[in-house]
Amino acid sequence: MGWAWLILALATYPWLLGADLASDVFASSSLTLFVSGACLIAPSRRLRRWQAVLFAAFLGFLFEARRPVPDGTVALVLVASVIFLSSNRQLLRNTPGMLRAAVIVNILACLCWYLGAAFLAPVVAVDPFGQFCLQMLVAGLLGVVVLLPVALTQNAAMDRLGVPPAPETP
Amino acid sequence: MDQNRQGARASYVALAIFVALWVLLPSAVRRLNREAFAEFQAPALHLLGKSRDMATFWEKKSRSTEEMAAAGRDLARINAALEIKLNAMDDVRRENVRLREITRYVVPAEYMSVVARVATRDSSSWWQRIVIRKGRNDGIRPGAPVVFGNNVVGRVTAVHLTTSEVDLVTSPGFRCTAYLEGDEQNRIALVNGVAANSLGTAKSRVSVIPHDYTPPAGQPARVFTTGMGGVFPSRLLLGYLDGGTYSTPVGNFKESLLIPSRDLYNLQEVSVLVPLHQNPGEALMQGDQFQ
Repeated sequence: MGWAWLILALATYPWLLGADLASDVFASSSLTLFVSGACLIAPSRRLRRWQAVLFAAFLGFLFEARRPVPDGTVALVLVASVIFLSSNRQLLRNTPGMLRAAVIVNILACLCWYLGAAFLAPVVAVDPFGQFCLQMLVAGLLGVVVLLPVALTQNAAMDRLGVPPAPETP
Repeated sequence: MDQNRQGARASYVALAIFVALWVLLPSAVRRLNREAFAEFQAPALHLLGKSRDMATFWEKKSRSTEEMAAAGRDLARINAALEIKLNAMDDVRRENVRLREITRYVVPAEYMSVVARVATRDSSSWWQRIVIRKGRNDGIRPGAPVVFGNNVVGRVTAVHLTTSEVDLVTSPGFRCTAYLEGDEQNRIALVNGVAANSLGTAKSRVSVIPHDYTPPAGQPARVFTTGMGGVFPSRLLLGYLDGGTYSTPVGNFKESLLIPSRDLYNLQEVSVLVPLHQNPGEALMQGDQFQ
Protein backbone atom coordinates (compact mmCIF):
# COMPACT_ATOMS: atom_id res chain seq x y z
CA MET A 1 0.00 0.00 0.00
CA GLY A 2 1.60 3.22 -1.23
CA TRP A 3 0.22 5.52 1.46
CA ALA A 4 1.05 3.21 4.37
CA TRP A 5 3.92 5.47 5.43
CA LEU A 6 1.63 8.50 5.70
CA ILE A 7 -1.07 6.66 7.64
CA LEU A 8 1.64 5.24 9.88
CA ALA A 9 3.03 8.76 10.40
CA LEU A 10 -0.44 9.96 11.41
CA ALA A 11 -0.70 7.02 13.82
CA THR A 12 2.70 7.97 15.28
CA TYR A 13 1.89 11.68 15.56
CA PRO A 14 0.11 11.43 18.96
CA TRP A 15 3.38 10.13 20.43
CA LEU A 16 5.25 13.12 19.02
CA LEU A 17 2.58 15.42 20.38
CA GLY A 18 2.91 13.67 23.74
CA ALA A 19 6.65 14.34 23.67
CA ASP A 20 5.93 18.01 22.92
CA LEU A 21 3.54 18.10 25.88
CA ALA A 22 6.20 16.58 28.12
CA SER A 23 8.70 19.14 26.80
CA ASP A 24 6.15 21.79 27.79
CA VAL A 25 6.18 20.43 31.34
CA PHE A 26 10.00 20.43 31.45
CA ALA A 27 10.32 23.79 29.69
CA SER A 28 11.68 25.56 32.76
CA SER A 29 14.59 23.09 32.78
CA SER A 30 15.52 23.89 29.16
CA LEU A 31 15.04 20.26 28.12
CA THR A 32 13.49 19.10 24.87
CA LEU A 33 12.16 15.57 24.92
CA PHE A 34 13.05 14.05 21.59
CA VAL A 35 11.54 10.73 20.46
CA SER A 36 11.54 10.92 16.65
CA GLY A 37 14.56 8.61 16.40
CA ALA A 38 12.88 5.89 18.46
CA CYS A 39 9.77 6.10 16.25
CA LEU A 40 11.78 4.88 13.24
CA ILE A 41 12.69 1.44 14.49
CA ALA A 42 9.48 -0.57 13.98
CA PRO A 43 8.74 0.92 10.51
CA SER A 44 12.34 0.15 9.45
CA ARG A 45 11.66 -3.56 10.04
CA ARG A 46 8.48 -3.79 8.00
CA LEU A 47 8.03 -0.94 5.55
CA ARG A 48 9.68 -0.96 2.16
CA ARG A 49 12.79 1.18 2.04
CA TRP A 50 11.28 4.08 0.08
CA GLN A 51 8.27 4.15 2.39
CA ALA A 52 10.51 4.17 5.46
CA VAL A 53 12.54 7.01 3.93
CA LEU A 54 9.42 9.13 3.40
CA PHE A 55 8.24 8.30 6.91
CA ALA A 56 11.60 9.38 8.40
CA ALA A 57 11.68 12.60 6.37
CA PHE A 58 8.13 13.42 7.52
CA LEU A 59 9.06 12.94 11.19
CA GLY A 60 12.22 14.99 10.80
CA PHE A 61 10.50 17.91 9.11
CA LEU A 62 7.75 17.84 11.74
CA PHE A 63 10.32 18.30 14.50
CA GLU A 64 12.12 21.10 12.69
CA ALA A 65 9.04 23.05 11.67
CA ARG A 66 8.69 25.00 14.93
CA ARG A 67 12.27 25.08 16.13
CA PRO A 68 15.29 27.14 15.10
CA VAL A 69 17.20 24.17 13.70
CA PRO A 70 18.88 24.38 10.26
CA ASP A 71 16.44 23.20 7.59
CA GLY A 72 16.66 19.50 6.88
CA THR A 73 19.16 18.58 9.61
CA VAL A 74 16.95 16.16 11.54
CA ALA A 75 15.13 14.91 8.44
CA LEU A 76 18.32 14.02 6.60
CA VAL A 77 19.87 12.32 9.62
CA LEU A 78 16.72 10.27 10.17
CA VAL A 79 16.58 9.35 6.48
CA ALA A 80 20.23 8.22 6.52
CA SER A 81 19.52 6.18 9.67
CA VAL A 82 16.46 4.55 8.17
CA ILE A 83 18.36 3.60 5.00
CA PHE A 84 21.00 1.94 7.16
CA LEU A 85 18.43 0.17 9.34
CA SER A 86 16.28 -1.07 6.47
CA SER A 87 19.40 -2.41 4.76
CA ASN A 88 20.55 -4.21 7.92
CA ARG A 89 17.31 -5.64 9.24
CA GLN A 90 19.15 -8.46 10.97
CA LEU A 91 20.21 -5.87 13.55
CA LEU A 92 16.55 -5.37 14.50
CA ARG A 93 15.68 -9.07 14.76
CA ASN A 94 15.11 -9.09 18.53
CA THR A 95 14.04 -6.65 21.24
CA PRO A 96 17.54 -5.89 22.61
CA GLY A 97 18.67 -5.10 19.07
CA MET A 98 15.70 -2.78 18.56
CA LEU A 99 16.36 -1.07 21.89
CA ARG A 100 20.01 -0.58 21.00
CA ALA A 101 19.04 0.87 17.62
CA ALA A 102 16.45 3.17 19.23
CA VAL A 103 19.00 4.56 21.66
CA ILE A 104 21.68 5.06 19.01
CA VAL A 105 19.38 6.66 16.41
CA ASN A 106 17.67 8.89 18.98
CA ILE A 107 20.98 10.11 20.40
CA LEU A 108 22.47 10.60 16.93
CA ALA A 109 19.52 12.68 15.69
CA CYS A 110 19.43 14.61 18.96
CA LEU A 111 23.14 15.33 18.67
CA CYS A 112 22.61 16.64 15.13
CA TRP A 113 19.79 19.05 16.02
CA TYR A 114 21.62 20.21 19.13
CA LEU A 115 24.77 21.04 17.17
CA GLY A 116 22.72 22.50 14.31
CA ALA A 117 20.84 24.79 16.69
CA ALA A 118 24.14 25.77 18.35
CA PHE A 119 25.47 26.68 14.91
CA LEU A 120 22.46 28.96 14.27
CA ALA A 121 22.37 30.48 17.77
CA PRO A 122 23.56 34.09 17.96
CA VAL A 123 25.36 33.55 21.28
CA VAL A 124 28.01 31.20 22.57
CA ALA A 125 27.26 29.07 25.61
CA VAL A 126 29.69 29.61 28.46
CA ASP A 127 29.75 26.00 29.62
CA PRO A 128 27.56 23.96 27.29
CA PHE A 129 28.94 20.53 28.19
CA GLY A 130 26.64 19.81 31.14
CA GLN A 131 23.43 20.63 29.32
CA PHE A 132 24.67 18.81 26.22
CA CYS A 133 25.34 15.62 28.19
CA LEU A 134 21.99 15.91 29.93
CA GLN A 135 20.13 16.31 26.63
CA MET A 136 21.90 13.27 25.15
CA LEU A 137 21.21 11.23 28.29
CA VAL A 138 17.52 12.13 28.14
CA ALA A 139 17.41 11.23 24.43
CA GLY A 140 18.98 7.85 25.15
CA LEU A 141 16.63 7.13 28.04
CA LEU A 142 13.61 8.13 26.00
CA GLY A 143 14.77 5.79 23.23
CA VAL A 144 14.51 2.91 25.72
CA VAL A 145 11.30 4.03 27.44
CA VAL A 146 9.30 5.00 24.38
CA LEU A 147 10.32 2.28 21.93
CA LEU A 148 8.03 -0.51 23.08
CA PRO A 149 4.73 1.43 23.32
CA VAL A 150 5.45 3.26 20.06
CA ALA A 151 6.41 0.02 18.31
CA LEU A 152 3.21 -1.62 19.57
CA THR A 153 1.09 1.23 18.17
CA GLN A 154 2.98 1.20 14.88
CA ASN A 155 2.82 -2.58 14.51
CA ALA A 156 -0.94 -2.50 15.15
CA ALA A 157 -1.32 0.20 12.49
CA MET A 158 0.85 -1.73 10.03
CA ASP A 159 -1.13 -4.94 10.68
CA ARG A 160 -4.34 -3.12 9.83
CA LEU A 161 -2.75 -1.64 6.71
CA GLY A 162 -1.73 -5.11 5.54
CA VAL A 163 2.01 -4.45 5.67
CA PRO A 164 3.78 -7.86 5.66
CA PRO A 165 5.34 -8.82 9.01
CA ALA A 166 9.09 -8.58 9.53
CA PRO A 167 10.82 -11.80 8.34
CA GLU A 168 12.32 -13.97 11.08
CA THR A 169 15.57 -14.36 9.14
CA PRO A 170 16.11 -11.25 7.03
CA MET B 1 21.35 -10.22 -0.23
CA ASP B 2 23.29 -8.65 -3.09
CA GLN B 3 20.13 -6.95 -4.29
CA ASN B 4 19.63 -5.52 -0.79
CA ARG B 5 23.17 -4.15 -0.73
CA GLN B 6 22.75 -2.63 -4.17
CA GLY B 7 19.45 -1.07 -3.12
CA ALA B 8 21.08 0.42 -0.03
CA ARG B 9 23.92 1.84 -2.10
CA ALA B 10 21.45 3.36 -4.55
CA SER B 11 19.53 4.88 -1.62
CA TYR B 12 22.69 6.45 -0.20
CA VAL B 13 23.54 7.90 -3.61
CA ALA B 14 19.98 9.26 -3.93
CA LEU B 15 20.28 10.77 -0.45
CA ALA B 16 23.59 12.43 -1.33
CA ILE B 17 22.03 13.90 -4.49
CA PHE B 18 19.04 15.10 -2.46
CA VAL B 19 21.32 16.74 0.12
CA ALA B 20 23.16 18.57 -2.67
CA LEU B 21 19.86 19.69 -4.21
CA TRP B 22 18.52 20.70 -0.80
CA VAL B 23 21.53 22.92 -0.16
CA LEU B 24 21.26 24.51 -3.62
CA LEU B 25 17.49 25.02 -3.47
CA PRO B 26 16.28 28.61 -3.07
CA SER B 27 15.51 29.43 0.55
CA ALA B 28 11.87 30.10 -0.39
CA VAL B 29 11.36 26.38 -1.07
CA ARG B 30 12.80 25.42 2.31
CA ARG B 31 10.67 28.08 3.99
CA LEU B 32 7.57 26.79 2.22
CA ASN B 33 8.37 23.28 3.42
CA ARG B 34 8.84 24.50 7.01
CA GLU B 35 5.61 26.49 6.84
CA ALA B 36 3.66 23.48 5.52
CA PHE B 37 4.82 21.28 8.40
CA ALA B 38 4.11 24.02 10.94
CA GLU B 39 0.58 24.41 9.57
CA PHE B 40 0.12 20.65 9.72
CA GLN B 41 0.71 20.79 13.48
CA ALA B 42 -1.41 23.87 14.14
CA PRO B 43 -4.79 22.09 14.62
CA ALA B 44 -3.26 19.72 17.17
CA LEU B 45 -1.79 22.66 19.10
CA HIS B 46 -5.16 24.42 19.08
CA LEU B 47 -6.83 21.26 20.31
CA LEU B 48 -4.24 20.95 23.07
CA GLY B 49 -4.74 24.53 24.20
CA LYS B 50 -8.51 24.26 24.10
CA SER B 51 -8.50 21.05 26.13
CA ARG B 52 -6.40 22.84 28.75
CA ASP B 53 -8.90 25.71 28.80
CA MET B 54 -11.72 23.20 29.13
CA ALA B 55 -9.98 21.53 32.09
CA THR B 56 -9.56 24.93 33.76
CA PHE B 57 -13.22 25.73 33.07
CA TRP B 58 -14.46 22.53 34.72
CA GLU B 59 -12.07 23.00 37.61
CA LYS B 60 -13.53 26.47 38.19
CA LYS B 61 -17.06 25.22 37.66
CA SER B 62 -16.61 22.71 40.46
CA ARG B 63 -16.09 25.48 43.02
CA SER B 64 -18.79 26.22 45.55
CA THR B 65 -21.36 29.02 45.14
CA GLU B 66 -20.04 30.77 48.27
CA GLU B 67 -16.56 30.84 46.81
CA MET B 68 -17.85 32.30 43.52
CA ALA B 69 -19.94 34.90 45.36
CA ALA B 70 -16.87 35.97 47.36
CA ALA B 71 -14.79 36.20 44.17
CA GLY B 72 -17.55 38.26 42.50
CA ARG B 73 -17.71 40.63 45.48
CA ASP B 74 -13.91 41.09 45.41
CA LEU B 75 -14.01 41.76 41.69
CA ALA B 76 -16.77 44.36 42.12
CA ARG B 77 -14.62 46.21 44.69
CA ILE B 78 -11.58 46.09 42.40
CA ASN B 79 -13.72 47.35 39.50
CA ALA B 80 -14.94 50.29 41.55
CA ALA B 81 -11.38 51.24 42.50
CA LEU B 82 -10.26 50.88 38.89
CA GLU B 83 -13.07 53.09 37.64
CA ILE B 84 -11.84 55.91 39.88
CA LYS B 85 -8.29 55.35 38.57
CA LEU B 86 -9.59 55.31 34.99
CA ASN B 87 -11.17 58.73 35.41
CA ALA B 88 -7.94 60.09 36.86
CA MET B 89 -5.98 58.59 33.96
CA ASP B 90 -8.34 60.22 31.48
CA ASP B 91 -7.46 63.61 32.94
CA VAL B 92 -3.75 62.76 32.75
CA ARG B 93 -4.15 61.65 29.12
CA ARG B 94 -5.83 64.91 28.14
CA GLU B 95 -3.12 66.90 29.88
CA ASN B 96 -0.49 64.76 28.14
CA VAL B 97 -1.99 65.39 24.69
CA ARG B 98 -2.16 69.13 25.41
CA LEU B 99 1.51 69.26 26.46
CA ARG B 100 2.59 67.22 23.43
CA GLU B 101 0.77 69.63 21.14
CA ILE B 102 2.50 72.60 22.80
CA THR B 103 5.99 71.05 22.58
CA ARG B 104 5.37 69.40 19.16
CA TYR B 105 6.55 66.09 20.61
CA VAL B 106 7.01 63.15 18.20
CA VAL B 107 4.24 60.69 19.00
CA PRO B 108 5.64 57.22 19.80
CA ALA B 109 4.48 54.19 17.80
CA GLU B 110 0.91 53.11 18.43
CA TYR B 111 0.03 49.51 18.97
CA MET B 112 -2.97 47.27 18.52
CA SER B 113 -3.20 44.78 21.37
CA VAL B 114 -4.07 41.20 20.44
CA VAL B 115 -4.72 38.89 23.38
CA ALA B 116 -3.61 35.31 22.75
CA ARG B 117 -3.67 32.09 24.75
CA VAL B 118 -0.47 30.10 25.14
CA ALA B 119 -0.61 26.72 23.37
CA THR B 120 2.75 25.16 24.30
CA ARG B 121 6.14 26.05 25.67
CA ASP B 122 9.35 24.70 24.22
CA SER B 123 12.88 25.24 25.42
CA SER B 124 16.39 23.89 25.09
CA SER B 125 19.85 25.38 25.52
CA TRP B 126 19.45 27.23 22.25
CA TRP B 127 15.89 28.47 22.31
CA GLN B 128 13.16 29.35 24.79
CA ARG B 129 9.86 29.77 23.05
CA ILE B 130 6.14 29.70 23.51
CA VAL B 131 3.57 29.05 20.81
CA ILE B 132 0.46 31.24 20.98
CA ARG B 133 -2.93 30.55 19.44
CA LYS B 134 -3.12 33.65 17.27
CA GLY B 135 -1.41 34.18 13.93
CA ARG B 136 -1.44 35.96 10.61
CA ASN B 137 -5.22 35.72 10.43
CA ASP B 138 -5.42 37.87 13.58
CA GLY B 139 -3.06 40.53 12.28
CA ILE B 140 0.08 39.42 14.14
CA ARG B 141 3.34 40.25 12.39
CA PRO B 142 6.92 39.04 13.01
CA GLY B 143 8.89 41.22 15.40
CA ALA B 144 5.87 42.39 17.39
CA PRO B 145 6.52 42.69 21.16
CA VAL B 146 4.70 40.31 23.48
CA VAL B 147 3.77 41.47 26.97
CA PHE B 148 1.78 40.43 30.01
CA GLY B 149 0.43 43.50 31.73
CA ASN B 150 3.44 45.78 32.09
CA ASN B 151 5.95 42.93 31.80
CA VAL B 152 7.84 42.02 28.66
CA VAL B 153 7.44 38.37 27.72
CA GLY B 154 9.35 38.33 24.43
CA ARG B 155 9.01 38.99 20.75
CA VAL B 156 7.20 37.23 17.91
CA THR B 157 9.72 35.40 15.73
CA ALA B 158 7.58 33.39 13.33
CA VAL B 159 3.96 33.82 12.33
CA HIS B 160 1.79 31.11 10.83
CA LEU B 161 -1.87 31.29 9.83
CA THR B 162 -3.37 30.60 13.26
CA THR B 163 -0.33 30.25 15.52
CA SER B 164 2.80 32.28 16.25
CA GLU B 165 6.12 31.52 17.87
CA VAL B 166 7.42 33.89 20.53
CA ASP B 167 11.09 34.09 21.57
CA LEU B 168 11.12 34.70 25.33
CA VAL B 169 13.25 37.35 27.05
CA THR B 170 15.66 34.61 28.12
CA SER B 171 16.05 33.12 24.65
CA PRO B 172 19.52 33.48 23.08
CA GLY B 173 17.98 35.28 20.11
CA PHE B 174 16.43 38.05 22.23
CA ARG B 175 18.09 41.47 22.39
CA CYS B 176 16.97 44.94 23.46
CA THR B 177 18.16 48.12 25.13
CA ALA B 178 17.24 48.95 28.73
CA TYR B 179 17.29 51.54 31.49
CA LEU B 180 18.23 50.54 35.01
CA GLU B 181 16.35 51.65 38.07
CA GLY B 182 18.41 54.02 40.16
CA ASP B 183 20.46 55.36 37.26
CA GLU B 184 19.53 59.05 37.27
CA GLN B 185 21.30 59.72 33.98
CA ASN B 186 19.25 57.08 32.14
CA ARG B 187 22.27 55.48 30.50
CA ILE B 188 21.54 52.61 28.18
CA ALA B 189 22.33 48.99 29.01
CA LEU B 190 21.89 45.95 26.77
CA VAL B 191 19.75 42.92 27.53
CA ASN B 192 20.27 39.69 25.66
CA GLY B 193 19.29 36.07 26.27
CA VAL B 194 21.96 33.52 27.07
CA ALA B 195 22.20 29.84 26.25
CA ALA B 196 20.85 27.84 29.19
CA ASN B 197 23.57 25.76 30.83
CA SER B 198 21.86 24.11 33.73
CA LEU B 199 18.55 22.70 34.86
CA GLY B 200 17.75 25.98 36.59
CA THR B 201 15.53 28.75 35.27
CA ALA B 202 16.88 30.50 32.19
CA LYS B 203 18.08 34.08 32.65
CA SER B 204 19.22 36.92 30.44
CA ARG B 205 22.36 38.97 30.65
CA VAL B 206 22.42 42.73 31.20
CA SER B 207 25.65 44.16 29.81
CA VAL B 208 27.20 47.61 29.25
CA ILE B 209 26.18 48.67 32.76
CA PRO B 210 28.14 51.88 33.58
CA HIS B 211 30.96 51.32 36.03
CA ASP B 212 29.69 53.90 38.50
CA TYR B 213 26.16 52.47 38.59
CA THR B 214 24.99 51.37 42.03
CA PRO B 215 21.75 49.40 42.35
CA PRO B 216 19.20 50.75 44.84
CA ALA B 217 19.72 49.33 48.30
CA GLY B 218 17.35 46.83 49.85
CA GLN B 219 15.55 45.75 46.68
CA PRO B 220 16.50 44.22 43.33
CA ALA B 221 16.94 46.89 40.65
CA ARG B 222 14.23 46.90 38.01
CA VAL B 223 15.17 46.91 34.32
CA PHE B 224 12.92 48.79 31.86
CA THR B 225 12.72 49.01 28.09
CA THR B 226 13.95 52.26 26.55
CA GLY B 227 11.51 52.46 23.65
CA MET B 228 14.44 52.97 21.29
CA GLY B 229 14.56 50.94 18.10
CA GLY B 230 10.81 51.09 17.77
CA VAL B 231 10.09 47.49 18.78
CA PHE B 232 9.11 47.78 22.46
CA PRO B 233 7.20 50.70 23.95
CA SER B 234 9.21 52.49 26.63
CA ARG B 235 9.07 51.79 30.39
CA LEU B 236 7.92 48.19 30.17
CA LEU B 237 9.40 45.95 32.86
CA LEU B 238 11.96 43.47 31.53
CA GLY B 239 12.88 42.03 34.91
CA TYR B 240 15.16 42.48 37.90
CA LEU B 241 18.93 42.46 38.26
CA ASP B 242 19.96 39.20 39.87
CA GLY B 243 22.15 40.02 42.87
CA GLY B 244 25.00 42.43 42.30
CA THR B 245 26.85 43.55 39.23
CA TYR B 246 30.32 42.37 38.31
CA SER B 247 33.03 43.86 36.11
CA THR B 248 33.61 42.53 32.60
CA PRO B 249 37.05 41.08 31.81
CA VAL B 250 37.98 44.33 30.05
CA GLY B 251 36.75 46.29 33.04
CA ASN B 252 35.11 49.22 31.26
CA PHE B 253 31.59 48.15 32.07
CA LYS B 254 29.75 45.89 34.45
CA GLU B 255 27.41 42.98 33.79
CA SER B 256 24.66 41.24 35.66
CA LEU B 257 22.05 38.58 35.13
CA LEU B 258 18.40 39.44 34.64
CA ILE B 259 15.56 37.54 36.27
CA PRO B 260 12.42 37.85 34.13
CA SER B 261 9.63 39.79 35.82
CA ARG B 262 7.17 36.90 35.47
CA ASP B 263 7.53 33.13 35.52
CA LEU B 264 7.55 32.87 31.74
CA TYR B 265 6.73 29.17 31.72
CA ASN B 266 3.51 29.56 33.68
CA LEU B 267 1.81 32.13 31.50
CA GLN B 268 -1.62 31.21 30.19
CA GLU B 269 -2.33 34.36 28.21
CA VAL B 270 -0.24 37.15 26.69
CA SER B 271 -0.84 40.32 24.67
CA VAL B 272 0.85 40.90 21.36
CA LEU B 273 1.41 44.60 20.65
CA VAL B 274 1.15 44.86 16.89
CA PRO B 275 2.45 48.23 15.63
CA LEU B 276 -0.24 50.05 13.67
CA HIS B 277 2.41 51.15 11.19
CA GLN B 278 5.28 48.91 10.17
CA ASN B 279 8.58 50.16 11.62
CA PRO B 280 12.02 49.79 10.00
CA GLY B 281 13.17 47.16 12.51
CA GLU B 282 10.17 45.02 11.74
CA ALA B 283 10.81 45.26 8.02
CA LEU B 284 14.37 44.05 8.61
CA MET B 285 13.12 41.10 10.65
CA GLN B 286 10.99 39.90 7.77
CA GLY B 287 14.13 39.35 5.68
CA ASP B 288 15.51 35.95 4.76
CA GLN B 289 18.05 35.97 7.58
CA PHE B 290 15.39 36.08 10.24
CA GLN B 291 14.69 32.36 10.56
